[in-house]
Amino acid sequence: MDGVQLQILWSNLIGIVSEQARALQRIAFSPIVREAGDLANGLFDARARMVAQAVTGTPGHINSLAAAARNLLNDIDTSTLKPGDVLITNDPWMSAGHFFDITVLSPIFREDRIIGYAGSTIHHTDIGGYGIGAGARDIHEEGLWIPVLKLYEAGKPNDTLFSIIKRNVRTPDALLGDLGAQVSSGMIAAQRLNALCDRYGLDDIETLADEIIARSEEATRNSIRKLKGGSFTGVSTFDVPGGEEITLKATVEIDADAGEITIDFAGSWPASRLGINVVPAYTHAYATFAVRSTLNPDLPNNAGSLAPIKLKLPDDCIVNARYPSPVNARHVVGMYVPFPILKALAQVAPDRVVAEGSGAVWTVQIHGSDASGRAFTSSMFNYSGGMGARASKPGLSAICYPTGVSAVPIEILEASYPIVFTCKELEPGTGGAGRQPGGLGQRIGYRMRTDRAWQLNTLPSRVMHGAEGLDGGSAGAPGRFEINGKPAAAGRKLDMQPGDEVLMVTPGGGGFGKA
Amino acid sequence: MTRYALAIDIGGTFTDAVLLADDGRSFVDKTLSTHANLLEGLFRGVDLVLGRAGIAPADVDDVVVHATTVVTNALIERKGPPTGLILTKGFADILYIRDEHRYDMYDPQIEFAEPLIPAERTFTLDERVLAGGTVEKAAADAEIADIARRCADAGIVSVAVCLLNAYRNGANEARVREVFAEVAPSIHVSLSSEIAPQMREYLRTSTVAINAFTVPITRPYLTAFADELKRRGFSQQPLIMLSNGGVLGAERAGLHPVRMIESGPAAGALVACYFSRLYGIPDLISFDMGGTTAKACMIQNHEPLVTSTFEVDRRYRFKPGSGMPITVPSIDMIEIGAGGGSIARVDDLGLLKTGPDSAGSEPGPVCYGRGGTGPCVTDADVVLGIIDPDRFLGGDMMLDADAAGAALEGLGKSLGLSREQAAWGVFEVVCEQMASAARTHATDRAIDYRGLPLLAFGGAGPVHACMVAELVDSSQVIYPPLASVLSAFGTLVTPAQIDLVRSNVVLLDAIDWASVTATIDDMVAEGTQALREAGIANADIRFRHGVDLRYLGQQSEVRIDLPFDPRQNREPDAIRELFETEYAAQYGLKLDGMAIEIVNWRTTASGPTPQRGAAADGDTAQAAPGERTVHLRGAATRVPVYQRTSLCPEQQIAGPVIVEERETTIFVLPGWTLRVHHDGSLFANRDTEAA
Repeated sequence: MDGVQLQILWSNLIGIVSEQARALQRIAFSPIVREAGDLANGLFDARARMVAQAVTGTPGHINSLAAAARNLLNDIDTSTLKPGDVLITNDPWMSAGHFFDITVLSPIFREDRIIGYAGSTIHHTDIGGYGIGAGARDIHEEGLWIPVLKLYEAGKPNDTLFSIIKRNVRTPDALLGDLGAQVSSGMIAAQRLNALCDRYGLDDIETLADEIIARSEEATRNSIRKLKGGSFTGVSTFDVPGGEEITLKATVEIDADAGEITIDFAGSWPASRLGINVVPAYTHAYATFAVRSTLNPDLPNNAGSLAPIKLKLPDDCIVNARYPSPVNARHVVGMYVPFPILKALAQVAPDRVVAEGSGAVWTVQIHGSDASGRAFTSSMFNYSGGMGARASKPGLSAICYPTGVSAVPIEILEASYPIVFTCKELEPGTGGAGRQPGGLGQRIGYRMRTDRAWQLNTLPSRVMHGAEGLDGGSAGAPGRFEINGKPAAAGRKLDMQPGDEVLMVTPGGGGFGKA
Repeated sequence: MTRYALAIDIGGTFTDAVLLADDGRSFVDKTLSTHANLLEGLFRGVDLVLGRAGIAPADVDDVVVHATTVVTNALIERKGPPTGLILTKGFADILYIRDEHRYDMYDPQIEFAEPLIPAERTFTLDERVLAGGTVEKAAADAEIADIARRCADAGIVSVAVCLLNAYRNGANEARVREVFAEVAPSIHVSLSSEIAPQMREYLRTSTVAINAFTVPITRPYLTAFADELKRRGFSQQPLIMLSNGGVLGAERAGLHPVRMIESGPAAGALVACYFSRLYGIPDLISFDMGGTTAKACMIQNHEPLVTSTFEVDRRYRFKPGSGMPITVPSIDMIEIGAGGGSIARVDDLGLLKTGPDSAGSEPGPVCYGRGGTGPCVTDADVVLGIIDPDRFLGGDMMLDADAAGAALEGLGKSLGLSREQAAWGVFEVVCEQMASAARTHATDRAIDYRGLPLLAFGGAGPVHACMVAELVDSSQVIYPPLASVLSAFGTLVTPAQIDLVRSNVVLLDAIDWASVTATIDDMVAEGTQALREAGIANADIRFRHGVDLRYLGQQSEVRIDLPFDPRQNREPDAIRELFETEYAAQYGLKLDGMAIEIVNWRTTASGPTPQRGAAADGDTAQAAPGERTVHLRGAATRVPVYQRTSLCPEQQIAGPVIVEERETTIFVLPGWTLRVHHDGSLFANRDTEAA
């Protein structure tokens, strides 16, 4: 296959997943999918290797979806799959690390043969159990656990499973609507892949997949080969809701001959009692993201481009969650995973890394009853702090790195729930000083339009220590979380009074270089 | 008496003028745009076409229509007098915070455009409207007056106002305008509740800020244009082309410059509608390819698709998300960073790519001989033999074929291909890039693109259209006359039209018809006024209504057109049925028992579509066809070359064939047959398998 043919077929595959993702995003109910883009779509070959991925969403979802197809298909006998079958799971260890993320995988048939799979993972509004937050004591308190099952069998819905899901979640309509969106986007991908095969006279995509994966792997290896070989260590410390101060230590072993990177998390914090433990696939997702984003951000994401990056995870470690540890709010720690890696890479590629930023987005969920007594449960919404500075550019304000999710517009939230915002502005002085300053955090205030008690699930992090600067840059300001003007702690769900006012000041990013 | 209509389209590179006589004659001119003073090049073109027709300005008794890039230029150059922004207290940084989205997840070096209106000219007002429309806190006159004085002191000449939830109730915004009128009457005030009364504060603020920023540039420009027309003896008030595919009077257009962005490309889409009606082909794809970009638009049932949101001035590597979003009804144009000047390269993976880097017109492709070194799409066309280096722009510009060959040779080396194979690769890859963008765009809108004819125009469109057609499974390409100035012609077949939209969120089962009727009455009144200004009689105004709706809890709406006036036909069941049909068509499912919510009400007021014809410009000259070698899929093939002016009606020529005209070249592949229509259009039809 020459560089012209391959370019044409490859761009077709990426076109298919982009179409699939856009269909999913438009059709979804959950504001976090539609407005925040918290979703992932991937196309897999018959051997469950990811060959193309839509450019959307968050690294956490995207890179865990790569592992999810493999895990799901290991769990079942693929020879029993029939046209019209749709697989589902939300097993945290198999897909994206917590119950909210449901992965749906549809085999793509060409006549009677499977030529690939279309997969998607989205963050659903509710999954029963504890709800959003880190307060559950073990994983079973966190919600409904769906093992690998058929959601549809030969085109027929699995009524038993649908009934179980419906009875076990707080917002069944939204969840079923979003599941429908996932199924429908998989159908679109299947049609498109068959049309591609028709247009170019292909029986399957195996040769194409081999070519894509081999070239991507080689390109990643080449970008690693350009680095200085050796072992480099980075350490990041941050505080999480409940006050725990967590250290992540990453030793990055660069094999410049083979073009391989191995990241060892030995020396990192042990498992937490809070639901912030991270499953290996999710750790892998953010770790590979840090390397890919630094070394070759333009390279499409697939099994090949991820292959040369390997992980070593110690036992009893917060980034190697084991059953039955709670994992609900795993993103709070997961979004910090890139920072120690970037600090290690700063020793070999100082002009390409980013200083520590605010880390995880601050997520919020509200529930209660409105003034007329009608119950409401909001979807999760989130706010960014400042991004760390780059070597030659300042950090971006109100932008999170590593994740890329959007904030839901205030007017949408106010129209959907009895919430009223009192402010949402950048907070001056929160970015760390430096040759390039860190990005600013923001000040967000809100209250509820109700005369009844309500509940707040929120996960502020970095409220004790700010993001460290790099290469002599200063630290960003830590965040602040206050209720009625007083500092508050938010390890668990909070009971709120009608008139309570919440203030969240998200942390700033670290500076780069001496000011 | 012959009647004359005049159209001028100012684009990024060229200013096109078309004078159309109702006896079928047309006079066209293409000159370079004069960016320092756009009107200079404009009137140069006007003088030229009038001179060629031998008529005086007063003889232009039909319309004078103008499409212009002045608004887009103002945004890209960021030149303009100081503009202010007034926001709700506590929310001063809406333009800085945007939607918090990092539009490229992997690239840590991304950048955003600086806000159009900076923090030092942003003011906040202690006021609040709630989501339901209740005014929780009215704006205090004294505070507004203070802001007005500070604006005046800062030399601000135009302000944008975007208060939270003003899409639902614009009372506080309206008060701002009233107080400004007393305290600082010279400052122009743009209100979000008028410019874009839709929910989502960043989108609305961005839109109204763009409007306020461009008013001080656009109004004087349009006034100068109208004055100069008058001074020269034109009797007609000019009409201005808008991005929604309609024209309006210059005065109203000047108040809503945000509606004028992309008016030239919109005119191109309108041309496609014109030919769609002329030839009785309801659905087609317009395909316009120039030097730096290609634009396509899906025409459905003789109408262009429209969109409610688009983006201008993408700052970082042309990436979506790096520009400024706008929410006003516009023609749904797909813009692809692929043109004759797109540079081909081999990436880290050994793949052949075209663009997004472009050599543009300066330095241009290697064959221009102006210092360009990267092999471009046009260079590949020259190497392949599709474009004759000695007859580019009718021979006015000689191309350096050897230099193009050397550039392609180098590209071929890194791919292990010959120069001709590499050139064919560039040709194929750029066509596939456009085809795949068109496929995604169509699928996104639930349109089955397979089999839709292409209407090809623009300098590079006719060169590549046949290949693109093969890649989107199309079996017909139409090459209209006047291809190089087609957008200007498009403005002459564009009806007067304004698209209005208001958010009035209601459950379909519980519509407050009195409130909805008031909303629509309001839009009908505004539409009537706007069309009367454009010279349309009341009796000729047609109103169409539509709604944007969704299942309760969704965040994205489906847009449907209502075949009735909802003020008279209060029929929720009919609306539900239309919604469910459209939803099923787009997403393949129907959700029973789910409540449906209407978010926006839309009203379009339009005048009659003008009946004007297009004919080829210039004389026909008989000439025998020539022949040259084209490297088709790697094989040297002798291909006949015709001059377009020498073709006879109903003539049929089997592909491969090349037809040359001054500004472009038509290239028809083997397996296609070209037929000359009696009106001068050329139709390329794919031969059926049996033939």
